[in-house]
Amino acid sequence: MLEFELSAGQQQLREGIRSIGKSVIRPMSLGWDKNKEIPEDFLRNFYSMSKSLQGAENPMADYNEGPKEKSNKPRSTNRTAAVGAEELAWADASIMLSLPGPGLGGPPVRASGTPEQKERFFSIFRDMSDQLRWGAYGLTEPGAGSDVKAIRTTCRKDGDDYILNGRKCYITNGGRAAWVVIFATVDASQGRAGQRAFVVEQGTPGFFVGKIEDKLGLRANETAELVLEDCRVPAANLLGGEEKYQSKEGFMTAMKTFDNTRPLVAAMACGIGKAAYEYARDFVKDNYMLGRPIPRYAALAERLARISRRLEAARILVWKAVWMADHGKPNAKEASMAKALAGQAAISACIDAIEICGAHGTLSEDHALLEKWFRDIKVYDIFEGTGQIQRIVISKRLMTNLRGF
Amino acid sequence: MISFEPTEDQRLIQETVGELAKTTLAPRAREFEAAREVADDVQQVIGEMGLALAAVPEAHGGQELGLLTAVLINEGLSRGDSATPFGLHGFGPYVWAAQELASSDQLTDLLTPLAAGKPGGAVAWSEVKARKDRAAFVTTASKSGDGYTLSGSKCFVGGVAAADRFIVFADVEGEATDAPWSGSGAFVVKRDAPGLKLGKRHETLGLACADFGRLELDGVDVNEADRLRGGDDFVAATLRFFARYSLTVAARQVGLCKSSFDITRDYCDIREAFGKPIGHFQAVAFTLADRHMDAESAGELCRRAAWAWDARKPFETCLAYTAQAVAHAHEAAMRCGDDAVQLHGGAGFMRDVIVEKMMRDAKQTALVGMTAEQMDQVAALVACRAKLTPELVLPTPDAQAILT
Repeated sequence: MLEFELSAGQQQLREGIRSIGKSVIRPMSLGWDKNKEIPEDFLRNFYSMSKSLQGAENPMADYNEGPKEKSNKPRSTNRTAAVGAEELAWADASIMLSLPGPGLGGPPVRASGTPEQKERFFSIFRDMSDQLRWGAYGLTEPGAGSDVKAIRTTCRKDGDDYILNGRKCYITNGGRAAWVVIFATVDASQGRAGQRAFVVEQGTPGFFVGKIEDKLGLRANETAELVLEDCRVPAANLLGGEEKYQSKEGFMTAMKTFDNTRPLVAAMACGIGKAAYEYARDFVKDNYMLGRPIPRYAALAERLARISRRLEAARILVWKAVWMADHGKPNAKEASMAKALAGQAAISACIDAIEICGAHGTLSEDHALLEKWFRDIKVYDIFEGTGQIQRIVISKRLMTNLRGF
Repeated sequence: MISFEPTEDQRLIQETVGELAKTTLAPRAREFEAAREVADDVQQVIGEMGLALAAVPEAHGGQELGLLTAVLINEGLSRGDSATPFGLHGFGPYVWAAQELASSDQLTDLLTPLAAGKPGGAVAWSEVKARKDRAAFVTTASKSGDGYTLSGSKCFVGGVAAADRFIVFADVEGEATDAPWSGSGAFVVKRDAPGLKLGKRHETLGLACADFGRLELDGVDVNEADRLRGGDDFVAATLRFFARYSLTVAARQVGLCKSSFDITRDYCDIREAFGKPIGHFQAVAFTLADRHMDAESAGELCRRAAWAWDARKPFETCLAYTAQAVAHAHEAAMRCGDDAVQLHGGAGFMRDVIVEKMMRDAKQTALVGMTAEQMDQVAALVACRAKLTPELVLPTPDAQAILT
């Protein structure tokens, strides 16, 4: 049956996050942003609260603890995660990205890891009461981001180990991660076939954290450079084991990650867009008489409505993409559509919200949150594949025999 | 729980309608356009399937399948030909106006001919001239004895030629207060009523197989029993009628989006330039990707709005979802029609290819029922919890006349 309603649990989750967002996160949000502070105390409290609130029903459990036993029943994991991600991004997108857990590193381990690897790498997140832990995903390099085939970090077998050399950049939570999924190549000339994914653990000899970036937005979240210098990684950390790489599987590992994470990133964009939209709406409500048919107000009303419906159009594609993921349907195209539309819609929402608030909108003392969201949102049309990359992904699934541009 | 899977029944209807659209409507679209009507045999086939009354309660001769199913039907038919649904008996606003405005007894009377396969009625809303002295219809209903006498000129009335009766909106004598559009009323007028005259059929940009025309009322007498009161809130009932009807129109825009996209995608797949299919150039492929996003998002927003009505969500929720779906679908259809012509290049401008017709149909469809501009006003008012006053939420003839 076609249905567009959250389950009772999802509604509870949304309301819970919104209430914490309103009373705790937003009042602190500007300070964290200004000082580039990742608030570990808050994250610890948030973690223990969500753990005790949700218990075994914790909707993020799959994301933190890895998959449970296989069942043929469709799961609601992705849908629930999208609801949670949107709402937490509504409160503060930096905090959403700074949440402890495997993060973007989770999906490739879940999709390609051996049972032993899944157990080993997910188990550290099962109970973080003593210490918060993060995972990360290391694909982008100084010379290759969107063009995944062009990565140059090398790996070569040496006894029971692999030796990795190269640099990774723009890695979310990279500096604090307990492990990072690192993509490297045995032979760059082989393209996809030459690629391998490793789980590199913090403290591995030859594995260093480089520069921590200073950014336009999402400042309360760490973006790090990672350096691998003759980094010795045990073969047991080659994701999926060696036989997995007889085919193109290595590259597909990188891509599968995106099918699961793009809709979530799109959901976050919707959350920031919604925050800006609600802000502008309340500003209009408090400062204008909308009930009166004065043409100037009609233009404002139309503008508000336009922001809102573009966000709705994006959200409905997000929901469709996560619904497909929950049902095991291939959703690469839909995931990219959600991401492409949400990034754009949310950026427009933030720009328009500032314009609606007038000159005040650009003054950080008057509408500081709005100014922050405007800075935060831009990267949502860039990371996890730029808007242009999303359109390439979509195009390849629309046209016959389109291999590349 | 969020789900995008239609029920088994809905899927069956989608398949049947899809087959009809593909094998009958698409190949005959130009024929209907030239004839300026939908052929009788097609009217009959679709009439027998009972598609027009899919959302009408069984007690009144319908199938009681809900607005969502109606939305799927409209989208499916329009995928074959974007104009045909406007030329089909029973697919106009009449059924929707009757359901919201009529009492149960009146409704049986209004829908019985349709259920029996007759053409049904039309809605006369827009006016030739705007009123200067106050916000109200120019067409008047003056009290006479136990009934009313209607006088005025109506225009942009869809399905006027075949209609056996009309729902006419008018300013009722002595009922207006200070509020704009207060004192408005709706009346059922039979086609053979003395004083009622059909005017000229409009020559239109698109939707050629649908007729839109004028209606002249020169002292037409109706009874009190012919007045449709819309329960206890006439404005709310009228708004409900427009919203629900406009959603089926939006679904047709979605059908247009999807078919124009399909045709254009196929063209870009085979048309070669510079040694490869034009779809293998980013400028072309990205445009297609954008239109695909338009079509898919508009389609799902329409389904969500219809679902909200069927699930009896609060009026404001239904209204907001509908407004968003309709406004988005109208814009999406215009972009899809435009880009379909654009990507076909010179060929798109020629009548050999159907996309030029789609572009014209898309523009005209955007003026049937409530427009994107009006829907945006509605959505903003709901979002700001402002009062839904008629001059702001109804497509009042003085602001932006619409086709009904």
